[in-house]
Amino acid sequence: MIEAQNLRKEYGDFVAVDGSTFSVQDGEVFGIIGPNGAGKTTTLKMLAGLVEPTAGEATVAGYDANDREMRTHLGFLPEESPLYEEMTPLSYLSFFADLYDVPDGVADRRIHETLDELELEHRERQLGDMSKGMKRKVAIARSLINDPAVLIYDEPASGLDPLTTNYIIEFTEQLAREGKTVVFSAHNLFHVESICDRVVIMNEGESVARGDLDELQAEYGETTYHVYTTVEVPGSVRENGRYRRVVESMDAVERTREAARQAGGSVVDIRTEESSLEEVFLNVADSRKRRRGG
Amino acid sequence: MFDPRSSLFTVAKRDISSLSREKTIVLAICIQLFIAGFSSFLVVGLTSLYDPSSVDSEERLELAVTGEDQEKLVGAAAETDGPQLFRYDDREDAIGAFDSGDVDAVVSVSRSSAGDGTRLRVEAVVPAEDLKTTLIVVRLRELLTALERLERTERGAQLEFTPVEVPSDDAGSSSYFGFTYTILLPLLLFLPPFISGSIVVDSITEEIERGTLELLRVSPVDLIDIVDGKALAMVLLAPVQALLWILLLRANDIAIDHVGTLLVLVTAVATITVVVGVVLGLVTGRRRQAQLLYSVLVILLFGATVLLPEHPARTVALLSADSATTTTFAHVGGFAVVALSLYAVVRRYVGRVDPESL
Amino acid sequence: MTPRKLLRIAWWEVTRNAGGIDRRTLAVAFVILALFGLVTPLLLDGGVGLDDGLYRVGIDESSPYYPVVADDETFVVRPGADRADLRNGDVELLFEGATVQFRDNPKSLAAYGELRGTVERFNNEQLRLEENGTAAFPVSVLLEYRQRGGGGDSPRIEDDDAGDGGASDGTGPADDGEVDDAGPGDDPGSGDGEETDGTGDPTDGGGSGTGGTGDRGPSLGGDSGGGLGGISGPLSDDQVSGSPADISPPFPFQSLVLAFLFVIPLNFLIQAYGSTILSERINRRGELLLASPVSRFDIIGGKTLPYFLGGMALESVIAIGLFVVVHGELGGVVSLLAVAPLVLLFLGATFLGAMFARSFKELTFVTVTITVTLTSYAFVPAIFTDVGAVALISPLTLVVRDLQNEAITLGEFTFSTAPPLLCSGVFFGLGAGLYREEDMFDQRSLRGRLLDALVGPIPRAGGSSRLTARLDPYVALDLRTARQYVAVGGLTATLIPFVFVVQLLAIALLFALGEISLILVLVVVAIIEEIAKSLHVYASFQHRRFEPGLKTALALGVASGVGFFFAEKIALLAQLVGLPELAVGEAGLQGGIVPGPFALTVALFLLAPLVLHVVTAAISAVGASRGKRQYGIALCLAMLVHLAYNLTVVMAVV
Repeated sequence: MIEAQNLRKEYGDFVAVDGSTFSVQDGEVFGIIGPNGAGKTTTLKMLAGLVEPTAGEATVAGYDANDREMRTHLGFLPEESPLYEEMTPLSYLSFFADLYDVPDGVADRRIHETLDELELEHRERQLGDMSKGMKRKVAIARSLINDPAVLIYDEPASGLDPLTTNYIIEFTEQLAREGKTVVFSAHNLFHVESICDRVVIMNEGESVARGDLDELQAEYGETTYHVYTTVEVPGSVRENGRYRRVVESMDAVERTREAARQAGGSVVDIRTEESSLEEVFLNVADSRKRRRGG
Repeated sequence: MFDPRSSLFTVAKRDISSLSREKTIVLAICIQLFIAGFSSFLVVGLTSLYDPSSVDSEERLELAVTGEDQEKLVGAAAETDGPQLFRYDDREDAIGAFDSGDVDAVVSVSRSSAGDGTRLRVEAVVPAEDLKTTLIVVRLRELLTALERLERTERGAQLEFTPVEVPSDDAGSSSYFGFTYTILLPLLLFLPPFISGSIVVDSITEEIERGTLELLRVSPVDLIDIVDGKALAMVLLAPVQALLWILLLRANDIAIDHVGTLLVLVTAVATITVVVGVVLGLVTGRRRQAQLLYSVLVILLFGATVLLPEHPARTVALLSADSATTTTFAHVGGFAVVALSLYAVVRRYVGRVDPESL
Repeated sequence: MTPRKLLRIAWWEVTRNAGGIDRRTLAVAFVILALFGLVTPLLLDGGVGLDDGLYRVGIDESSPYYPVVADDETFVVRPGADRADLRNGDVELLFEGATVQFRDNPKSLAAYGELRGTVERFNNEQLRLEENGTAAFPVSVLLEYRQRGGGGDSPRIEDDDAGDGGASDGTGPADDGEVDDAGPGDDPGSGDGEETDGTGDPTDGGGSGTGGTGDRGPSLGGDSGGGLGGISGPLSDDQVSGSPADISPPFPFQSLVLAFLFVIPLNFLIQAYGSTILSERINRRGELLLASPVSRFDIIGGKTLPYFLGGMALESVIAIGLFVVVHGELGGVVSLLAVAPLVLLFLGATFLGAMFARSFKELTFVTVTITVTLTSYAFVPAIFTDVGAVALISPLTLVVRDLQNEAITLGEFTFSTAPPLLCSGVFFGLGAGLYREEDMFDQRSLRGRLLDALVGPIPRAGGSSRLTARLDPYVALDLRTARQYVAVGGLTATLIPFVFVVQLLAIALLFALGEISLILVLVVVAIIEEIAKSLHVYASFQHRRFEPGLKTALALGVASGVGFFFAEKIALLAQLVGLPELAVGEAGLQGGIVPGPFALTVALFLLAPLVLHVVTAAISAVGASRGKRQYGIALCLAMLVHLAYNLTVVMAVV
């Protein structure tokens, strides 16, 4: 559904995105994660045809990203989307429906359906008088006005209260279940983990890792073993009358067992812990830094 | 009436420094310079089109004279130091000379009867669409006015009124004096207040539209402090600019009196425009509406000052040219009182505005 | 571009404030304007008298000048003042009997000058009361403007119904004074045939003169100071008559003031327009519109259309109103057509300005600059409507002529309206180049934005630019490598209308200065042409569109120079067809037409300017490739070379 080939964007001397390559399958939920300033937004905007890449190309739903026709198949939600505050949700949405060539009858039905689903009341109130969460819902309704096959959401839940955030994440998940392809960015990894099929990790303009969560886990994740012994072994700390040592491989676990036996004690418990996406992310960033430093 | 709390000055300082950072103040001064230059050009240019003494007068006008009474014109020409006359017997010949560019104009003088007497009827042909036309017409007018004077003297017995003698023209007076004091200086002094008010509108509506007013509000500052700060900055900016203009004019040997009083007047006017700007900014909250209303309203207010016994522009002229009367000072005082009370009213209004509603 | 979507956006722009605030604003503005309408008669009628009481005069009632001085509000009478008061500056003039004393300072001298005018006016007013009109005004003048060498009638003047086309129509009934009868002779060639009409009788003219404005009775020229006193002008002034005091140089004052009415509403219009454009850029508000399947031209067009139509509606009301008031009939189509490019120019400049401005404050200054600059562009040349063809660079001149019922040829119309139309096109084009996500929402400086705007149409090396890519199907050669250079040359050519307007404006502004004006005009020409040829080249080096290098820079110089040359010559040829007399003068300025053998003419007309433009453009391009300072220096050098060339040519020709 989406192909990005070596997307690169320069702003003067500053390289915002440096060769980003990934592809998104039909019906997939794809996450772009990374810290602020990693180039996520620029990448999404290149996909949406808002920003012209300095080099490389992207196709979305079978169209070149710069082809205006592509936009009729796309629902784009920018990170901050100030609406025209003097308009009401209804007038705002029907204005955009016209721009997307949605026939009037279809548009009316779709607007109301979507607003119903989003549980948005006050459809005749001025947007300027609405809360941030309500405005976000209107913005999401706008991204669905043309019943697009592809949704590109930039930080869909940023700056919202936890309740609304949850709601919007769930709504996005539901859209994916309905068969839409969703690409979104986040710096809050919790959302990504909960709904993403695959992710690409970006840092300082480069995409540093990509794959599904298991693959990433295998490559960058670490399994740590907490070995609890009855006697003190090198590197252990006392904890609740027992000693705990944290190691990173099964070999080390064996060595710890041996050491405990020699000291006249024994291993009483071993717990494994897998790293979260957040830790994966930190590891990726860390390994890049080390590599660059070395 | 200004509350000397530091927060007020912080806001004022922020506004002034943001102005200077954006170099807009430089731009503002450039624009005023441009407007002043433009209006000066207009007036000086027009004056030179009209004032023969300011036009290069080396060249003598060459006139073809025809008609039965051409002698009279020759007599008048002797009175003025002007044109060189060429006599033609036939008007067609004269027109021919005109068409070929040998003479600047053709003047025919004949006698015609009108009512109970006769008049000298002068028909003058001057070139159309020629840069020299202006000069030719002006010279021609001098010549014909001299002719008229001579004729009047001749027929003086038939007149009840004896014309008052026109004082001789050797003083070398400048026609720009009146312009400088009655148009240029008022323009320069009233532009800064106008722009100040306009900037306040921008400043307030921009904060509202960008939503930065909320950020300011979470700091321990009241809306009233914010408004005070913005207003203060802009009110004070106006007399500073006015002072610069005055100094500039003085550097050009244009004496300007009552500088202090003038600055009070400018400050008062700036306060009024700023108050208008503040209210419109807060009431509409949108720049487009506020600016439109602001310019229309200020123009109206300025137009309405015609109703005053003394127009503010005249007040400026009289003060600066040292012809001020008690009325003049009373007007300055009146403006100051109006400005202060308007400001007080607006502060009360701002105090009652609910910041959440913006 | 999709007209339907453009219209949808236009409709949205008009109706989105349906909440009511805009209607309220309009209502309030309307009420204020109505109030203003109430004040206006006061302004016009009473006269503001800005210089009332400016000069103080020590005079006793016994002096013959007492009634004179007491009659003029400019003077304040200070009875009993003595020489000490004069010395102290408490009075400016001091009368001792019939002699007047003054001091040698500007104010005193100005008072004296004012006194002279006052005495003349006073005399004329008193004489108007005389029984014996012919003795009071023994001279009557009929002034006829005549096109030299053009036989009897002047081609520009169409006065078949001039019998009622006189000046007084503007304010009074058409047949209230004899001035009207006397004024316009139908046949300028044979003035002596109409002696029986009697020429204007100043006595009657004076009677109507005190009541109204804009008539040409003898009272005119009386009531304003500052050297502007004598300004009066009939609306159709092929002939003027009256007493000697009434004749004044050709100056379409009234028409000019009326024409000014066309410009005033534009200044309000652009305030609102600038706001709406800038507010799209604030808080990324316009981003979603950009992301929708609408081209930016639709967006810009849609947002502009209501303002253009609104502006034209206002102008129509003004035009129709003016023609009904002035001529008593419907009309003003030509005026309206002439004003349309002006409306577009105001909007275009504001659009670009709003794309440059970073905040509302900046926008205010940008708008004020546009107001002042464009108003002077429109207004100043129109002052010279009756003087020179150069006045035609302003479309307002057409309005003035239209108001004077003069015929306007198609060539003149085109000459007047094409440059502002093209300029507005360039403004919109450059602004549209910035109407992208990347440029709209950042806070770059004005200078940076100017460079961004200029570099917009120039494609990257090997990259595609929509503009130049469109040429591909039509051109057999593979243009891809040359594209960038074509774009640079093309951009130079696009800037020609600006160069043209600025140059002609400079001529209009400077020609009054006499001898020196030619040199000054040449300086302006050199400056503006060199900037137009090189600024975008500098911008594209800054934006790394080209790798710095001598060869590239020289090639760019050639591209820019050639582009300039072609556009200039095409503009000149167009003028030759439309307005020969002006074009010849221009050609002389460009170093063009010299009498002599054909080959020499060709060489001078074509070859020399081409070489000049290429050489100077190359100089500045080389500088531009090396950096900011080097560009500045090279630009100055190019200007000097250009100036030297122009001076040489002019010296050779003159």
